Amino acid sequence: MTERGQDRGNGGLAASMSLLTSLLTRPLDPGYEAAARRRETEGAPRRTVGGSALLAVLAVALGVLTVTAAVTLRAPQPAVVQARAVLEEEVRQRSLEVSAAETQLAALDTEIQSLQRAALEASDPQILARLAVDEAVSGATALEGPGVRVTLADAADAGESDVDRRVHDSDLRVVVNGLWAAGAEAVSVNGLRVTGLTAIRSAGQAVLVDLVPLASPYVVEAIGDPDRLETRFAGTPARDHLALLRAAYDITGSVDSVASLLVPAAAAPTLDRAAPLVLEAQEEET
Amino acid sequence: MIAVLGLVVGVIAGLLLEPTVPAGMQPYLPIAVIAALDALFGGLRARLDGIFDDKVFVVSFLSNVVLAALIVFLGDQLGVGTQLSTAVVVVLGIRIFSNAAAIRRHLFKA
Repeated sequence: MTERGQDRGNGGLAASMSLLTSLLTRPLDPGYEAAARRRETEGAPRRTVGGSALLAVLAVALGVLTVTAAVTLRAPQPAVVQARAVLEEEVRQRSLEVSAAETQLAALDTEIQSLQRAALEASDPQILARLAVDEAVSGATALEGPGVRVTLADAADAGESDVDRRVHDSDLRVVVNGLWAAGAEAVSVNGLRVTGLTAIRSAGQAVLVDLVPLASPYVVEAIGDPDRLETRFAGTPARDHLALLRAAYDITGSVDSVASLLVPAAAAPTLDRAAPLVLEAQEEET
Repeated sequence: MIAVLGLVVGVIAGLLLEPTVPAGMQPYLPIAVIAALDALFGGLRARLDGIFDDKVFVVSFLSNVVLAALIVFLGDQLGVGTQLSTAVVVVLGIRIFSNAAAIRRHLFKA
């Protein structure tokens, strides 16, 4: 190949270029030319039957190989599809397990509460009363009462990528904070109790409340005196925020008072490090 | 002509039989197809140049595919599989392009 490159007067180029030059100027396999030259000098080569057969077999094999490769590459990767199906099945099964476990948990919770009540009612009604208040405040029990319902919905024509016109986690935070500030006694978002341990955040485009992804419309329910809640809510920055959302992004927000709301219990918190003070120590302090 | 006929027979057989490729061979398929394309274009150009040769065609086809697969295999073993694949694709791609250009000149005289 180098020889040929020099024949063509490319000797002046750097040696490292010779590969590229020959590649660009003589892309044809030199074998063809060599064979043609041989034919000229020696006449047509006599081919044995065995040689021809071998040639034919090789050609068939190459044809099969090439077309198989091409067909295989065009087909969707079965391994990937299969893995996906397996994962989907697993996700579905685990979700079922989770909901089964949640039902069991709820049943056990009720049982514990009734047993607790039965045990304490006779011996220490004072602790029972305190326990009831603590449970209500911490979100351990479901609560009902009158209150207000704030509904936030994405703009009607907001597309998948139209991030601005969708409800963000920050909008929900403003509303929930506004309700707390207005004197709400218990708050839930789309049926999820908001407690001191609940984070309202976003992952990608989804709004997560307590790690559960929610979708529009977002219904924030707060228990409290409806009239007072509504009046004081109107005095918080949340009201302006809702007005801004409506004016600028077509995100609809409505505030209604409701005669009776049910706010469910929060999932039992998992406390790894935090431990309550020992009772005696508490009593000494007070 | 034997080679071309054999290749056609092989292609038809491959389409009809649809053999499955073992999973271990999967990474070499794209490179093998490109090498095969290069050999095909080279053969077509030689045919138009009037110097086509069955033996050279089959041998260059075979060596192209085997060598390409070998390079990818070696690259995988050395941990530079992607880069070597790129190198092979670039070189073969240039050859395919210039062969195709030569074929075009032959066919359309332009």
